[in-house]
Amino acid sequence: MTQWRTDRRGFLQIAGAALAALTLPAKFAWAAEGDTLRIRATADFQCLDPKNMIGELDEIIPRCTQVALVRLGDMRDGNKWQPWGAEKIDWIDPTKIGFTLREGLQWSNGFGPVTPEDVKFSFERIAGSDSAWAYQFEKLDHVEVTDARSGIIHLKEAFAPFMVIALPYYGGNIICKAATEKVGGSYTTEAPAECGPYRFAAWEQNQKVTLTANPDWTGPQPAFATVEIYIVTDDQAAQLAFEADAFDFTKLAVSATAQIKAAMPANATLIEAQSTRYSWLVINQNAEPLKDIRVRQAIQYAYDSDAVLLGAYDGLATRSTGVVPPTSPFTRASNLIPTRDVEKAKALLAEADVSDLTLTLVALTDSTTQAIAQIFQANMAEAGITIEIQPTEDAAYWAAGDKTAGDGYKSLELALMNFAGGIDPTENLVWFRPDQIGIYNWAFFDSADFESLYQQGLTEQDEAKRKAIFNKMEDLMEASGDFIFICFEPYIAIHHSTVKPVIMADGHPDPVMFTKA
Amino acid sequence: MRWPANTRALRALIRDPMGLMGLVLVTLFILMAVAAPILAPYDPLALDVRAKLQSPSLAHWLGTDQLGRDTLSRIIYGARTALTIALTAIGLAGSIGILLGLIAGYGPRWLDAALVLIFDALNSLPMMMFALAIITVLGPGTGTLILVVVLVSIPGYARLIRAQTLTLRSADFIVAEQAIGASTPRILLMHLLPNVFGPLCIVLSMDIPVVIMLEAGLSYLNLGVKPPTPSWGNILYDGYTAIRTSSTLVIAAGAPLVLATLGFTFLGEGLRDALDPRFTTARP
Repeated sequence: MTQWRTDRRGFLQIAGAALAALTLPAKFAWAAEGDTLRIRATADFQCLDPKNMIGELDEIIPRCTQVALVRLGDMRDGNKWQPWGAEKIDWIDPTKIGFTLREGLQWSNGFGPVTPEDVKFSFERIAGSDSAWAYQFEKLDHVEVTDARSGIIHLKEAFAPFMVIALPYYGGNIICKAATEKVGGSYTTEAPAECGPYRFAAWEQNQKVTLTANPDWTGPQPAFATVEIYIVTDDQAAQLAFEADAFDFTKLAVSATAQIKAAMPANATLIEAQSTRYSWLVINQNAEPLKDIRVRQAIQYAYDSDAVLLGAYDGLATRSTGVVPPTSPFTRASNLIPTRDVEKAKALLAEADVSDLTLTLVALTDSTTQAIAQIFQANMAEAGITIEIQPTEDAAYWAAGDKTAGDGYKSLELALMNFAGGIDPTENLVWFRPDQIGIYNWAFFDSADFESLYQQGLTEQDEAKRKAIFNKMEDLMEASGDFIFICFEPYIAIHHSTVKPVIMADGHPDPVMFTKA
Repeated sequence: MRWPANTRALRALIRDPMGLMGLVLVTLFILMAVAAPILAPYDPLALDVRAKLQSPSLAHWLGTDQLGRDTLSRIIYGARTALTIALTAIGLAGSIGILLGLIAGYGPRWLDAALVLIFDALNSLPMMMFALAIITVLGPGTGTLILVVVLVSIPGYARLIRAQTLTLRSADFIVAEQAIGASTPRILLMHLLPNVFGPLCIVLSMDIPVVIMLEAGLSYLNLGVKPPTPSWGNILYDGYTAIRTSSTLVIAAGAPLVLATLGFTFLGEGLRDALDPRFTTARP
């Protein structure tokens, strides 16, 4: 006879499942079915073409359905790379990487084997293009096809991080040349040919993506026959759904950490890790009230880092010294402005002959960003600066600094931003180059010295010299008055103890590498 | 002894338990809004992140929010925000509605037809979609919220006044005024307006809770009042984000919304009963 559980956990399971079923028309698998991995994504995918993909599900799906030459390990284990689509890949010399593709890799839809010509097509179409991932191939000269399964990647200059920056994900996903050309040279939500451990099986828009094992895959077999990715934007709803046994893995809000620790669901494991996601405040030097560097510096001095970290991140994060993660050997030791100084801020404003300054802060509507915005607003009020918070939804937010969306990006004043970072510092510093103004460099930070150092950082092989270069670049950023470095956000996720997740450097899961515990 | 009509209406309102309850609740909310600086124990904007999400205590009767602000103080000031927006918006919409309704009902037929067409066109827009469209164009904020409410409310009020005016324009006392050469503004303002205002008052009082809920709903979605201004809607949202840690915020913000809605609804119904001759004649 069925025993009804009347304790809190039982109630939560029933209530959560009912709520999830009501709010998400997609059918959840009600229990962890041995061969099905159920994970959560925060937003639906937009584009699966590596050239135009944006992030999260756009990249998680190709991780499963396409192949890359190499694959990264878990970020908590140091992002170690290993050959994946290549059975053999190694440096021939500092500007050449030789590779041999795994035998038996076949495209779906009858497009034949994966060839080095596909590799050449995939990389060279992105290098020098307007793709957001063009930076991955900035040092790519060309790909030489040497035989049916082998090729050589030629770089313009020596660039040691190429293997981990360019090859494992995003632009590094290999696509089928013949199939892509057949559909006009690019695609959006339907890949014309797949070759990965999984195949795209079903998509319920804004609800669920289902991937099933690819019977033609000859590489290492994934642990799960099916991957179901549920799209749940709200962290609270996702947490509730996890407690109702609707997911095997979900990322959580930082603010949930204390509560979940106090009442850990049964058979669940909490992941607390340092993420590569960096958060900062943009101070646009091109906006009229912020053209005077003393005004921008006044904002930097008036900012109370301790209050923001405690209020928005529950003290789980530390102040960042730049955009290079604290776990990196290249991280900067300290900020140029080490502590808050409201009097100095006031003095700078007086010196600039600025009074009654009112600035608009554009901020996404999630609770963490809004908390930062309100604490920042209170900080600035102490220095006599009025901040008007403009809570902004995703689409309008990203248009705010986008030059293709009108001239608004020129007069945007302040914005709170955060990006998923990469492994090499250049992956995080790239967004602040002059050519990114009107794209992701919303501060109009335009430094020739920064650009020159960036180029040096790409090719310099000596680690100590690279560290000096990157530290100097962050000094330039801070000294410009254009940025306040907030923190690297903590990574909080929860999973069933029956699965062992793998998290990539960008903070997103890699379902292919998930195993059964 | 016969009481003056307005006093009779007040007595009728007080004798009706629901009406009395509505009157008391509304009076309390108005007092709370007016006397917020005196009643609130703390500055509603003062942050103390070290004291975030505290449970109710003697120091903070309703605890603190996720930024350590005193919840009770924010609820009290939230009443001011809600009532300011509701009364301003409804007042503006009512005034414009009266003017347009009188013009439509008493003016030439072509003007009536044109105005009715505009009212119907505005009425045909789904309120929430219309609100979201305006907010997208103008950006969120108190001014935008008031504009939204004014624009969506005017057609209803104007149509009500127009209907009343059309009924009264051929009444004997209006015809008599016309016969003695009274000017149109005099007829509209001195004779028609007092007679059509009663029904509008009832509708206005019934609409106040709708506006309060709209403000709270949009603020909950970060499309209403901008932070850090306290609003029951954004307090409710803050409570939602922290509900797994503490339910105090949700209850604290939800309770005044429920009570204000009930208060204005009861008051509106009480006023309707008290002012409607069909009800007043049936009562002693």
